[in-house]
Amino acid sequence: MSRREALHRLSAGFGAIGLAGVLGAAPRQQTVPKAKRVIFLFMNGAPSHIDTFDPKPALAKYEGQQPSGKLYKAPKTSGFMSSPLKFQRCGQSGIEVSESLPRLGGLIDDCCVIRSMHTDVPNHEPALLMMNTGNIQPIRPSLGSWVLYGLGSENENLPGFVVLRPTPNIVVGPALWSSSFLPAEFQATGVITSDMEIGKLVANVRNTVLAPVQQRRQIDLIQNLNRLHAARRDHDSALEAQIKSMETAYRMQSAASDAFDISREPAKTRELYGDTPFGRSCLLARRLAESGVRFISVYYTSDNNQPWDTHANHYQRHPELCADSDRASAALISDLKQRGLLDDTLVVWTGEFGRTPYAQENKDKNKATDPMKRGRDHHHTAFSTLLAGGGVKGGLAYGSSDELGMNAQENPVHVHDLHATILHLLGLDHEKLTYRYAGRDFRLTDVFGNVVRDIIA
Amino acid sequence: MPHAAIRFIARSFFLCVLIAHGAEPAQIDWNKARQHWSFVPPATQALPEVTDAAWPRERVDHFILSRLESKGLTPSREADARVLIRRVTFDLTGLPPKPEEVSAFLADTKPDAYARLVDGLLSRRAFGERMASVWMNLARYAEDQAHQVGDDSSLNYPNAWRYRDWIVSAFNADLPYDAFIRRQLAVDLIEPQNKAELPALGFLGLGHKLYSRSRLDVQAEEWAEKVDTVSQTFLGLTVACARCHDHKFDPITTRDYYAMAGVFASVQMVNLRPDGKAEDNKTKAAKMDPGTLHIVRDESPRDLPIYERGDMESPQGTAPRGWLQVLSKGEAVTFHTGSGRAELARLIADKANPLTARVMVNRVWDMLFGKPLARTTSNFGATGDKPSHPELLDDLAVRFMQDGWSVKRLARELVMSATYRQSSSGSVANSQLDEANENFWRMDRKRMGIEQFRDAVLSVSGMLSHEGGASQIVDAAGHHKRTLYSAVSRRELNKTLMLFDYPDANVHAARRSTSTTPTQKLFVMNSPFMIEQSRKLAQRLQQSAHDDARRVRHAYELLFAREPQGEELAIAQEFLSQPTADSGMNAWEQLAQALLATNEMLYVD
Repeated sequence: MSRREALHRLSAGFGAIGLAGVLGAAPRQQTVPKAKRVIFLFMNGAPSHIDTFDPKPALAKYEGQQPSGKLYKAPKTSGFMSSPLKFQRCGQSGIEVSESLPRLGGLIDDCCVIRSMHTDVPNHEPALLMMNTGNIQPIRPSLGSWVLYGLGSENENLPGFVVLRPTPNIVVGPALWSSSFLPAEFQATGVITSDMEIGKLVANVRNTVLAPVQQRRQIDLIQNLNRLHAARRDHDSALEAQIKSMETAYRMQSAASDAFDISREPAKTRELYGDTPFGRSCLLARRLAESGVRFISVYYTSDNNQPWDTHANHYQRHPELCADSDRASAALISDLKQRGLLDDTLVVWTGEFGRTPYAQENKDKNKATDPMKRGRDHHHTAFSTLLAGGGVKGGLAYGSSDELGMNAQENPVHVHDLHATILHLLGLDHEKLTYRYAGRDFRLTDVFGNVVRDIIA
Repeated sequence: MPHAAIRFIARSFFLCVLIAHGAEPAQIDWNKARQHWSFVPPATQALPEVTDAAWPRERVDHFILSRLESKGLTPSREADARVLIRRVTFDLTGLPPKPEEVSAFLADTKPDAYARLVDGLLSRRAFGERMASVWMNLARYAEDQAHQVGDDSSLNYPNAWRYRDWIVSAFNADLPYDAFIRRQLAVDLIEPQNKAELPALGFLGLGHKLYSRSRLDVQAEEWAEKVDTVSQTFLGLTVACARCHDHKFDPITTRDYYAMAGVFASVQMVNLRPDGKAEDNKTKAAKMDPGTLHIVRDESPRDLPIYERGDMESPQGTAPRGWLQVLSKGEAVTFHTGSGRAELARLIADKANPLTARVMVNRVWDMLFGKPLARTTSNFGATGDKPSHPELLDDLAVRFMQDGWSVKRLARELVMSATYRQSSSGSVANSQLDEANENFWRMDRKRMGIEQFRDAVLSVSGMLSHEGGASQIVDAAGHHKRTLYSAVSRRELNKTLMLFDYPDANVHAARRSTSTTPTQKLFVMNSPFMIEQSRKLAQRLQQSAHDDARRVRHAYELLFAREPQGEELAIAQEFLSQPTADSGMNAWEQLAQALLATNEMLYVD
């Protein structure tokens, strides 16, 4: 049996055993892994860096002045707008974090803030695709699929790559977690978390007409027949794999029901995360991480698709979003830490880009400008990403944007660099994690990406 | 050039190994390049000598047997009649044989019984449907785009199914494969009076419409996608590799790439209404006339510059629209009529093209034997695998062209062969020498794809609809057309299709991968579809006879084309005798579902 056949024939859980199993004992890891799994928290619509992790007191000095220099498009703006939010020095590291994220601020010594992120285009679609797949067109495998391809699944009774989102509608859509040309076993399992009832979360995980004892009896019958069938044929590992798969499926009904069921959490824990769509999703993400799911994405969506896209009423909406996200994200990080899981679980908190340090005007009926209605526009040349756990240095603010938060300045980190670093933390060399498709070797990072070594513990 | 622009360009489509390594493209020695096995025209082969002269039934068998004998392998015995009829019916039609067909075949003692069976199968509509299910993945068939802005469905293809129906009809009419290619690429130019064939252009017309497609760099992505799909599907070449640099491995230059991309840059994707006018490009899918075709038409022809390293900001010289140099005699052939689409189509489908027939013959072999002769079915270039039986591939390719590019004739020869008729169980001695069966000393046991499995379930439950046409939702209640007729989305592939390895429709898929996952079993055990079909099957079985033993026999004939063995009958009867009160399924329904869930239902010996 060839290696390829072996790959396809092995019974392989929801997702797959991945290269890990195919190549024998060692997965496709070139370096010693620090992280085993990733939880990727995505703030759809893009949070404002200067209102979260990147304080810019100088903005007050330039308040109302028109931005100059190379801009993606001519802004309609009343000029620079400083953040009314206070920034506090947090933890022993003294990193400044906005008062809108008090709980994350309290955990800053476990976190690394990258303040010099940048991406290519300030439009949601291409930027979402860049952050999720490393390419601005919807045709490439996602980070999660690459990771699963490189490492395989930790728990064959569960999917290896799970995508949680509270609403079915999300800008760009499932291309964000596509497996594209990677084999189908590295695909994501998309889960809509609006209804946390197990039968709604995972397709076909429960039989609605047979009691467990009846189903067991039926499966025994199937397996008896399968064994008779196999016995009349020469040893065929594919048939054996099917038999094994049927047993795994039977067990998965309870394993998945357990892992996906947040009602098993104590009320205190649920309270900690917050009883909101994002809070419940983060709690589910922790349960899945604990059960050995390799890559879990949580998208912060709501009925308006990308709640963080605050073009108007920014200082009303942004703090509300921060409060919800802060509570759930901080609960997740501290919960992981308490369970000893933070050491080998990398948590990423980011948007697709940042928001402009200058205001976006929204004129009312009388064409007058209401300062309270001001928004912030898309901004791709500087933004912040938070990392925690998984072998990342805690209490570190890495890189910087310029005085006004306009451009990444010191130690710029492109999305490709972030991807290279995430793979590196998982023990994967982004230049060697390749897949041959259509005659070429493809990478997540294409021909780019440098591992940001300074943030690795 | 700004940093972001460099990123954009180099990222744009492919990982260009040359950039990464900074190597200079080597000068290509064309005479030497044309010596690569797949660029050498296939030649008729002398029949290899064999010792066991009684075994071969077709020319194919001489090639296979000669290899077996040289390796000390012996062919396996012929599969018994029940196995054979089940195998050939699934392979040619994607459906199981009916019990009455099985008994008629068993009762037919004339020497040409099998030949008549095969001819009957090839004449069914289901044959075209089976072939089309293979073709859909090569053509990355889909009805929308990976990306949609808001509720703007103007880039979707609500009538894509007209292309699918055309493919089914073309295979059923045994349209010669060369004409099949020409029509899909350029029927509007080659047979302008032949409006009925316009749906064929869906091959190009259902391609990508990407985000921000008015931008030049995005258009370049769309040309590349067409070059990629056309060259992999028909030529087994990865021409799009040469977009940024001369192909690292194959004798394909960036000039070759832009010469072909120029053809597609001179072509417009259009929604053509039945009145012959183009639909406004803002019209949403639901507002399009049901007769609207998603096809292509020529616009002003233009030659593209060569964008070295894919850099749209620094064009270097011009690549006249034309043909690959390695497949031209001497200098590259250039195109002069309109976009050049008709010339391209003719050259792809030309008998002098060394690749086209080989590539298709290999695909048909793959479909029937479960593995191809050349493993990389869409890459016959230097990085592809060499064929395991090059002489056989050549012999088939030459005769395929000589016999009028008839796919039916080709399929007939293959299934008539002694090689095909072998049992899938073979000797231990052979197994020790060639465990992977690379030499075809037995038939491989084949795992069904989603099309065959779901269609078989619906067929045995009696619920299968034989209607074609507009798309159904594959797992929606009451949608009982063949699986082929399912909506395929680039944006979000249907979960049931995805679960059973249906490929991502954003890219040409050379072959299906085959995964075995517990989630597939959860579908079989718990999905409303399977429970519903189990109930229907149980009803059918209960009505088929008055006692359980006969019903079980009928079940085995229906599902597995055989009689149950004593032990199987006993197990089933024992299962039926247990009380099933308080259950949502009666004993027969549970048994029916169990039989549908067995490996025998999913595999073809």
